[in-house]
Amino acid sequence: MKKILLLLILSCVHLNAVDRGSTLKIYHSVFSALSPKTPLVVYTNDNEYRDVFQHSKKIVLTDNAKESDIVLITNERTLIDILYTMNENMDISKKPIMFVTNYHFLKISDKIIGAFYWRKGRSQLLFIKNRLEQYDISLPVEYQKFMIDEL
Amino acid sequence: MRRQYFDKFIFFLMVLLIIFGIFLQITTVQSTEKLKQEEIDKAEQYASKIAQLLQKRTANNIEFELENNPQLREHLNESLQAFLTKQYQYIFVLQKDRKGNYRFLLDGSEEEPEEYKTIFFPKSKLFDNVYLTQKMQIIEQHEGVEQVWLSLVYPIVGDNKTEALLVLDLSESYAEYLNEFNSPLMNVVWMMQIFLILSLFLLVFLAYRYYKIRKELIIDNLTSVYKKQYLYEFFDKNRLDNYNIMLLDIDEFKEVNQKFGFESGDNILKEFTQTLLSSLSSNAIIARTGGAEFLITIPKDEGKVEEQAQNIFDILKVKKYLIGNEIQYVTVSMSAMSVPENTTSLQNVERMLDEKLLEVKSKGKNDLVVLNEIEFRNVYYNNIDYIKEALEEERLICLYQPIYETQTKQIVKYEALVRLIDKENSEKLIVPFHFMKLVKGTSQYIRMSKLVLREVFNTLHRYEDIEISMNLDLDDLDNADMMKLITQNLYENRAIANRLTFEILEEHEVKDYGKIMFYLQQLKAFGSKIALDDFGSGYASYSYLIKLNIDILKIDGSIIQELKNSPDHAKTVIRSIKELAGSFQYDLVAEFVSDEEIYGIIKDLGIQYVQGYYLGEPKPIEWYMNDNDQ
Repeated sequence: MKKILLLLILSCVHLNAVDRGSTLKIYHSVFSALSPKTPLVVYTNDNEYRDVFQHSKKIVLTDNAKESDIVLITNERTLIDILYTMNENMDISKKPIMFVTNYHFLKISDKIIGAFYWRKGRSQLLFIKNRLEQYDISLPVEYQKFMIDEL
Repeated sequence: MRRQYFDKFIFFLMVLLIIFGIFLQITTVQSTEKLKQEEIDKAEQYASKIAQLLQKRTANNIEFELENNPQLREHLNESLQAFLTKQYQYIFVLQKDRKGNYRFLLDGSEEEPEEYKTIFFPKSKLFDNVYLTQKMQIIEQHEGVEQVWLSLVYPIVGDNKTEALLVLDLSESYAEYLNEFNSPLMNVVWMMQIFLILSLFLLVFLAYRYYKIRKELIIDNLTSVYKKQYLYEFFDKNRLDNYNIMLLDIDEFKEVNQKFGFESGDNILKEFTQTLLSSLSSNAIIARTGGAEFLITIPKDEGKVEEQAQNIFDILKVKKYLIGNEIQYVTVSMSAMSVPENTTSLQNVERMLDEKLLEVKSKGKNDLVVLNEIEFRNVYYNNIDYIKEALEEERLICLYQPIYETQTKQIVKYEALVRLIDKENSEKLIVPFHFMKLVKGTSQYIRMSKLVLREVFNTLHRYEDIEISMNLDLDDLDNADMMKLITQNLYENRAIANRLTFEILEEHEVKDYGKIMFYLQQLKAFGSKIALDDFGSGYASYSYLIKLNIDILKIDGSIIQELKNSPDHAKTVIRSIKELAGSFQYDLVAEFVSDEEIYGIIKDLGIQYVQGYYLGEPKPIEWYMNDNDQ
């Protein structure tokens, strides 16, 4: 009985590891497409994502959005705060690149270059062409299909 | 259960269990798949109806109507929402824009419905296919898609142009529900499969145990050769008469054990069997049948039994065994035989070899004897158990040899001659020479006489114009049981008893004539006749003629046969017997008339009746009856 219980726990841990691993893989891939820098300095205040990224060797987390290469925004409040800070202090043509996890955030600011979110049970990745151009970002060929002209 | 049947049964059971397990699995999976397919078919009809509704409400111009009429959009979104049931995760309508991106036209989601023209990546190129082909398609969702089991993509076509795609996402939870719909059955199947697997394991374990125990039963622990049991099983499947069989026993092995100890004795036995094994072909079988006794079978096509046995005997004779510092020789006694055709009983073969082996042992051991077929037959039938079995199974018949009136050559009587029928070959008849001595004085003799009397009286009943004579030993008259049997039969068949003649045989001298006379009178009282058989030889003396009241004299066959060697002397004796019989008014029969010459002499001598192979061999009565009819 003990053996069965142990096997059950191990299999749950394993599944969880796979989930984290796949999330990390997606963002590694997306962020690498956006910036060739290694390691990438990423800012997010979402603890769930921070937990995922802290296991990465290619991503370094920062607590300060100004120091980051990419800002990952997962809630509207953070988006507004960051937009305010950016307006005050940051050079728009430089960094950080803003990436969100909600389609609607893309409509709030044209400084957000792309999003990764779920719709109708399907993962949706999209980049907005003219916004990428603002940041002088050219995506690798395999990401071209996720590029749209307008929302 | 016989081994070969057990093997087949185990194998059959295993296959049956496996097939049953697979059948259960397939049936259950098929049942679930059928259920799913039914749901898909329903969804297709559902999609068709929704598409018809949308087309009707938008007057076949969906893009224009929805673009210009937000209220209609709102209304249709609510309509789609109404179609949402537990099996549909999402229902929405997509349209491809000029850039080739899909955008929502309608969304039936209750919570956070997509805004009109929101971009959407469907994650499957099959959406494009539906757009192009205008044919509904079922898309199974995999990576990057959650909560969706299947997407049913239905084209909304107007004026031969795909205007939009209606998407019905069947929910994953519904697929699980469908899977669970059969879950009680699946649980039963799983339990049955577990039970089947356990049964299979148990069966394998039992089979293993069976073969382990069987091995112990058929393999001798000490020498690693077979035990006798194996030979019985082997000859259940193989013809015994294809083999030469030898029985050998190490002489005075008990003394070897006493002299060197049992351990050394065991070592000698091991080395002895190794020597045997190395000197024989792989087709030979060695079985240890006793302490130092072995039975060897070798296929006949590998050589003659004499050569094979001699070869083994010679090898074993020169074999040396090292015990400590001493070299020891052992001698063997052997009997061997080539098993005659149609022999099936290993037990009988073994018994015969054993008898011969005992003879070798009694004549000084260290020798080899090979049985020939005649010896085999003699020993084979000379077995009270064999005769007992034959009588129990009533494997007994009477043959009838005709007795002729010499001058007319007409049959006047038949002599009934008993034969046993061979157990293995019903056409083979065993003559009394092989069994009569053994059976006399035993209860089997009474049993045999009972069968003979029954057969003879049956024949007399069946053929009303014939007479039969049957042999009766003088000793039988002095046997109360036998006399009771005869008189009882005579009484029961008293109407035809006068057509029966008893031919009296004797093997030793009669001491009490009075008693014999009394018994014969009892037989004659029923009208039966008495013949004195083999007159002129042995104990059948002239005093019988004086003291016994008989009807017929049968001249001993040896006197008749002398007509060939010493015709004058024989004729003189026969003439004197004829004169004697004439004086007593006895009928006279000459037996053993084996050719025309003897028949001629007998005829010339005026002997009244003749019997012999020249005139008629012992045959079933029907043979003569049919012949007479012809």
